[in-house]
Amino acid sequence: MRGVEWRKRVAMATYQEFIQQNEDRDGVRFSWNLWPSSRLEATRLVVPVSCLFTPLKERPDLPPVQYEPVLCSRANCKAVLNPLCQVDYRAKIWACNFCFQRNPFPPSYAGISDVNQPAELMPQFSTIEYIVQRGPPNPLIFLYVVDTCLEEEDLQALKESLQMSLSLLPPNALVGLITFGRMVQVHELSCEGIAKSYVFRGTKELSSKQIQEMLGLTNPSASGPQGRPAAPQDPAVTCRFLQPVHKVDMNLTDLLGELQRDPWPVPQGKRPLRSTGIALSIAVGLLEGTFPNTGARVMMFMGGPPTQGPGMVVGDELKTPIRSWHDITKDNARHLKKATKYYDALANRAAVNGHSIDIYACALDQTGLLEMKCLSNLTGGHIAMGDSFNTSLFKQTFQRVFSKDHNGEFRMAFGGTLEVSTSRELKVSGAIGPCVSLKAKGPCISENEVGVGGTTQWKICSLSPSTTLALYFEVVNQHNAPIPQGGRGAVQFVTQYQHSNTQRRIRVTTVARNWADAQSQIQHIESSFDQEASAVIMARLGVFRAESEEGPDVLRWLDRQLIRLCQKFGQFNKDDPTSFKLSESLSLYPQFMFHLRRSPFLQVFNNSPDECSYYRHHFVRQDLTQSLIMIQPILYSYSFHGPPEPVLLDSGSILPDRILLMDTFFQLVIYHGETIAQWRKAGYQEQPEYENFKHLLVAPVDDAQEILQTRFPMPRYIDTEHGGSQARFLLSKVNPSQTHNNLYSWGQETGAPILTDDVSLQVFMDHLKKLAVSSAA
Amino acid sequence: VNGNQERGWNDPPQFSYGLQTAAQGAPKRTPLNKRVPPPQLTGSPCPVPGDFPSATAPMTPPTNPLAPPCSMNTPPRPCPVAAPPLGGVMATPPPPFPVVEHTDSASSQSENEPDVDDVVTLLNWALTACRHTVKKQVCNDVAKRLKLFEDMWKSGKLSLPVRRRMIGLVQELKSCNWDAADEIHRALIVDHVNEVGQWMVGVKRLIAETRNLNPDLLHTQEVDQSLDTSSAGNSD
Repeated sequence: MRGVEWRKRVAMATYQEFIQQNEDRDGVRFSWNLWPSSRLEATRLVVPVSCLFTPLKERPDLPPVQYEPVLCSRANCKAVLNPLCQVDYRAKIWACNFCFQRNPFPPSYAGISDVNQPAELMPQFSTIEYIVQRGPPNPLIFLYVVDTCLEEEDLQALKESLQMSLSLLPPNALVGLITFGRMVQVHELSCEGIAKSYVFRGTKELSSKQIQEMLGLTNPSASGPQGRPAAPQDPAVTCRFLQPVHKVDMNLTDLLGELQRDPWPVPQGKRPLRSTGIALSIAVGLLEGTFPNTGARVMMFMGGPPTQGPGMVVGDELKTPIRSWHDITKDNARHLKKATKYYDALANRAAVNGHSIDIYACALDQTGLLEMKCLSNLTGGHIAMGDSFNTSLFKQTFQRVFSKDHNGEFRMAFGGTLEVSTSRELKVSGAIGPCVSLKAKGPCISENEVGVGGTTQWKICSLSPSTTLALYFEVVNQHNAPIPQGGRGAVQFVTQYQHSNTQRRIRVTTVARNWADAQSQIQHIESSFDQEASAVIMARLGVFRAESEEGPDVLRWLDRQLIRLCQKFGQFNKDDPTSFKLSESLSLYPQFMFHLRRSPFLQVFNNSPDECSYYRHHFVRQDLTQSLIMIQPILYSYSFHGPPEPVLLDSGSILPDRILLMDTFFQLVIYHGETIAQWRKAGYQEQPEYENFKHLLVAPVDDAQEILQTRFPMPRYIDTEHGGSQARFLLSKVNPSQTHNNLYSWGQETGAPILTDDVSLQVFMDHLKKLAVSSAA
Repeated sequence: VNGNQERGWNDPPQFSYGLQTAAQGAPKRTPLNKRVPPPQLTGSPCPVPGDFPSATAPMTPPTNPLAPPCSMNTPPRPCPVAAPPLGGVMATPPPPFPVVEHTDSASSQSENEPDVDDVVTLLNWALTACRHTVKKQVCNDVAKRLKLFEDMWKSGKLSLPVRRRMIGLVQELKSCNWDAADEIHRALIVDHVNEVGQWMVGVKRLIAETRNLNPDLLHTQEVDQSLDTSSAGNSD
């Protein structure tokens, strides 16, 4: 036993390095880093072969190359030349590692040899970026859609933020402004003279064509011989509504400064009439007609829910509250289906054109994020949720949309498409993340769809360096088909996108992992398990299911997977729970699942439908580190006894002489233990002989600053102490809730065992061990 | 600066543009990303806080049970983070453009009030140069905003940091450091939008137009005269 444990430990340490190196270089984390060589064995591993992939991971050390990638000539392959390809330098031929087609090198490669390799063949360039020069560079477009039904203070703050943003936009960007309340106004941004605007009724749904006609964008006299509408790039047609910011910044600053509250009076007991649905459809239609297939961002700012027209979420009577979870489960949410369908259609239209939609929602009550979330989720746009536009949370979150990297370049990218190729033993089941399907046909598509499936190509209209997709694969090799000795499976990710400097780029990542026979090498496969990636991958699956299924079913499903995993890899004596152990490569996984089950992503009833939509929106797009924080918050303990140390997310970690710093991603909580709080109240930190206490108080604040200064979106910041009202943020994460606490029960439909909610980690683990070792299972 | 607790619960603090920009590229001082496995699975005894071997000698009991351990009695506390850089953020790799709060012109070192005329002179120098080629309406629009800036300064409506940074901005403008001047304008509008929002876009435009000029235009007789006549009689 000892020898096996030691070998596992060493293997684990080596794999951890391997995993980290691969993530640093390629932005990829696989659930398994040794792949089971048959379909049957893959299903027995419980967690599918899958990965988290960050297409535009920041690689300050990776200079892009200035030529086009070389593609495999086979029509249904088109994989890109990469380090895994066999090359015959004499004959100037390369063999595609995915389809084995032999391809001649293009003439420009005549000078290559094994001592003069092109970059894309070198192993250290498993990830490489190409700059492609095709067609004229297209400017980026920012279309502001602004709710004017705001309180004076809020409107003033929003106006200032918008004025400020004009200084943060990329210099040659085009900018446009639509304001809305009861009516919708599209503002002409001319360089001189009186500002004109086109007014639309907030209740009448118009087709895209009608919108373009009414805005004068389809000018019959300017059309070509076949009577086509004027060419989209014709400046005479488009200059009125979408103008270069460097030309109209002064006028637009004034225009923004002069914006008034929506003039339509709001009677007592009523909500303002907000025509958000029509405003958005005009925005989408305007962009569709003028700049299809160009990077564009619709940025919508709203201070309340849509209350009239298509897409309305609640009526204008204040006595009718906006739908709660209770209303939804009782099928009592009048507008929900219709509104969701409306925004879904708009979102798909925007996505088809490569346009993304951001939602900045600031209000004390819900604003309809549940119905509108697809606008951002399908297009990669942001959702920011705050209490008021006059808060630091909104202002700084909004500023960070325009943040720049170490090279002084904007972090936002546009018009992304991702294509995945696999070696023939693997097929692609689907992706979960801020994308839509491009419905591409091909040989690598699995019939078992997971997430956005049935394709190997997706569109991600807006991307950042942290945007991460989860990709699910299926091993299709039959059980009795042998894998050649040392055989490897490969996956290639090809991401095409528009850089913020308007260049078109292609980033290619090609990775491989060894196949292993699960019968004889199960311990090695186990050592290659990446429990952090797997937790996030399974969590995304769970959230995806929760969006379409009933909540309890998802929890049951998660529990079943966890129990099966423990049965497969746990070391135990049958029916003896106390003997149960998991190796290091799996030891954190059950805890992740415990916290996931209690998280706001799956426990919806503690939050409003909008809050839930907001949390889930961020969860299914963040990179691994941030996603893990969301699943299982980080908790560090500060004391006089030594450096800050991570501690169990458990009530036992709350001690009187400790300060705790908790990061949930959405909140940063600094909690002072009872004794610390008393000392602080007594003012010891002001006295010179207690300077070490002063340092202790400052340490977590300093550590929190780093996170506060960079995270997007900006988190809430809570400074609290033992007995403080805000302490509940910490207590709810570490304590089981006080509700009824029954021991494990059995599900009705399938008879499968489930673990319960609302128990402590200790009790959860005990139940898990009992179920895993049970011979009755 | 604290967040707005009246409008938003648990509103986070507000950071300056410069601080946020510097933080973007900086390596993490203390990456907080470690977790502790539950004891039940690894077979090791349950780790409680304080169980970790401490590098310090055991804490001496405080003389006053209600007081924290006194600095004098306890051995110096080990550095809580791996070699924190001195002065925190300032030790991070330099941002692409000078962080103006710390590289201000001489006026920030002295206690003297920044002089509005110095600033206005330089702004007008740039504007005069622009009038040759830039559309009249644009120049007038810029002039209007520069006037507003001047009026606000003279009527005491601009805070000291804004005034100081404007001095820095015009110095960069004079030295043809367009990117640096631009960065200062950005920092000002982010950090002080309520003070500068109405007129700063004029300065922004001025920088943008001036940098595109034929450099000869920056030193025509007319332009240099405007500099000379304005600075004659100014203290320096």
